[in-house]
Parts: sequence; structure tokens; C-alpha cells
Amino acid sequence: MTTTVPRRLPRRARQLLAASALLILCAAPFGTRADATEAAAGLRTVDQDVQALKKELVDLNRDLFRLEEELLYPASTQVAVFLSVNVGTFFALDSVQLELDGKEVTNYLYTEREVAALHRGGVQKLYLGNLKAGEHELVAVFTGKGPHDRDYRRGTTVKFDKTIGAKYVELRITDRDSALQPEFDVRQWE
Amino acid sequence: MVSSDHAERARLKALAHTTALAVAALAGALCFPLLAHAAPAPGAAAPDFALKDLSGRNQRLSEFRGDVVVLTFWASYCGPCRNALQSAGAAVADREGPAVALGVSLDRDADRAASVVGSLGLRFPSLLDAGQSVGRLYDVQHLPLTLLIDREGTVRQTWAREPVPAEVLIRHIRELDP
Repeated sequence: MTTTVPRRLPRRARQLLAASALLILCAAPFGTRADATEAAAGLRTVDQDVQALKKELVDLNRDLFRLEEELLYPASTQVAVFLSVNVGTFFALDSVQLELDGKEVTNYLYTEREVAALHRGGVQKLYLGNLKAGEHELVAVFTGKGPHDRDYRRGTTVKFDKTIGAKYVELRITDRDSALQPEFDVRQWE
Repeated sequence: MVSSDHAERARLKALAHTTALAVAALAGALCFPLLAHAAPAPGAAAPDFALKDLSGRNQRLSEFRGDVVVLTFWASYCGPCRNALQSAGAAVADREGPAVALGVSLDRDADRAASVVGSLGLRFPSLLDAGQSVGRLYDVQHLPLTLLIDREGTVRQTWAREPVPAEVLIRHIRELDP
């Protein structure tokens, strides 16, 4: 009958094993941290990709909008009417009605926010359309409250020549301090 | 003989194609006006509009973006519209969050609309669509018509003919804006 006696490892081997275990234990947290850093870097990359994609989408949307506008309103026939307000203390804008060659094309009601935006220097694109080359007549009727809070309605007419290029018309509401009255003037650009 | 049959078949085929194209074009032309004026269905963007309210202030729907909007089309001659307006008022009054009610009266007479608003004690803006341009834009066929519009301006629910109970509105608003 034989009995096996468990043999002890040599002292040197035991020391090596202990050192290895210690090393592994110490290295473990560093390993986790490295993984976490890697994961964070990965997330950052994904986030950057998403942001880049969003930017591309915005750019694409802008290009499509331009393309659509160029197709629907080519420069050869394009007419745009803008509205701006300079000071405007004598006139509280309520609505603007636009007629082109006797046909109503826009009737725009202004909310308080929109009027405030115009007073802060905003310029509104009131109308965008197509017209053939030649002479045309634009009539703008402004409605609102005039001096002393009275109901105020004023029309302004402009005749313009539409040439081959795009035509821009700006309607401006300004104050005529000498008469304490609002003034409505029209500027044109080619 | 064979070539004559072949030519005849080709001629018939071409005729059938042309007829099919013509029918499709005619159907498209007939359906287009119907589709163009269709009421905004759930999932579609609510068409923007601006109208004067009964106090004379101009209100634009797009300025309520960011809020859930209960839009109710009504008229003074429509009995169930009164319940619809009260439901809309109760549904938004109950909320702490941003939800607003807007009423659009299709009455031609502002005084009639004002008297209904006064008798119901409505606290939300009532807009007057005397020219019924917004009614046409939303293709209002039956009154009352209630639309629930989310924060992005998309129609989420519509109810026509019957006034929608306030509890139902509140439940739908909570789903949109928990």
C-alpha cells in the first residue's frame, strides 16, 4: 500500500507565484480603467460622427432649399418683396396687403412678436413669385394704428420694370418727424 | 399573315398603354384638388395661419410652437360646439405645463361669437375666421372639429362632429407632454 504525500512546491516557485498574483491584482484596476478610457474614446468618436452627420444633414437641407428656390423662382422671372420698419413710432403695423398687377398676392397679419422683430431691425420676405419681363404695378396697403392711436390705412403704388435679372423690392415704413406722420417708401434692386 | 397578326397585337398593346396612361392622368387630375384640400391627418404638419382674436390682437398658430395646442373650430349656431369649447378650456386649465387652447369661430358676425365666448366664460383666445379661409385650409366639414397639435406643430389627433370629453383630451395631452 502506498500513500501519496503532497509535495510542497519549492520556495522559489511559491515566491514567483505570489509575485505574479500580486502583479495581476495590481494590474486589474489599471486594465479596467484602460477599458473605460477606450470605451469613452469610442463614445466620443460616435458622438463626433453623429454631430458630423447632423451638420451634413443641415447642409444638405440648405442646398435642397436653394435648389428648390432656384427651380421654382429662376432669376429670370423672380420678384421678391421685402418689408422693413425704421423706427416706426408713428405707426403700429397690423397688416399688409399686396397686389401685383391688380391681383392680390399676399395679405399678411402681423402679431406683436413679428412687429417687435421688425422694430429690432428684422427684414421680412413678404412675397416671392414669378413675373415675366416688362412693366408691372405693385400696390401695398398698410393697415394699423397711426398717430394718436387712430385707425390708419395707407396705400403706396410703385411701377417697376422687370428685366432679365431677379427683382427685389423693399417696402419701408419710416417716421416723418416734421409732420409727425409715418411714411411708406419703396426701394428697388436688380 | 403572321406579321400582320403581330402588328395588330402591337397596335392593341400600344392602345391599351395609352388608354391606361390617359385614365391615370385623368384620375390624378380629378383627385388632386380633393387631396390638396384634405384636412390635416394625424402625423401631418398643422397648416399655419394668422387671425384676429375677439379682442383685436393678431394670433399666429406657429407662435405656439413649443406648447401642446388644442385647436377647436366652432360656430355660434352649433350646439355641441359649446361642450367642445368647455372641454378644451378644462383640459388646458388642468395643466401646469405648457398647453394652450385656441378656438376658431367660423361666424361671420363677431358679436355672436363674442356672446358665446362671454356666456361660456372662456379664458383662452378665440379667433375669428369670418372669411372662413382657415376653415377651408383645415377642410372643416363638420363642427365641432378639435385638433390636438404637439410641440413641434404636428397634428396628433382629430375629433369631428362630437365634442371630445375633457378627460380624453387630458389623457392625450399627458401622453404628449408627460
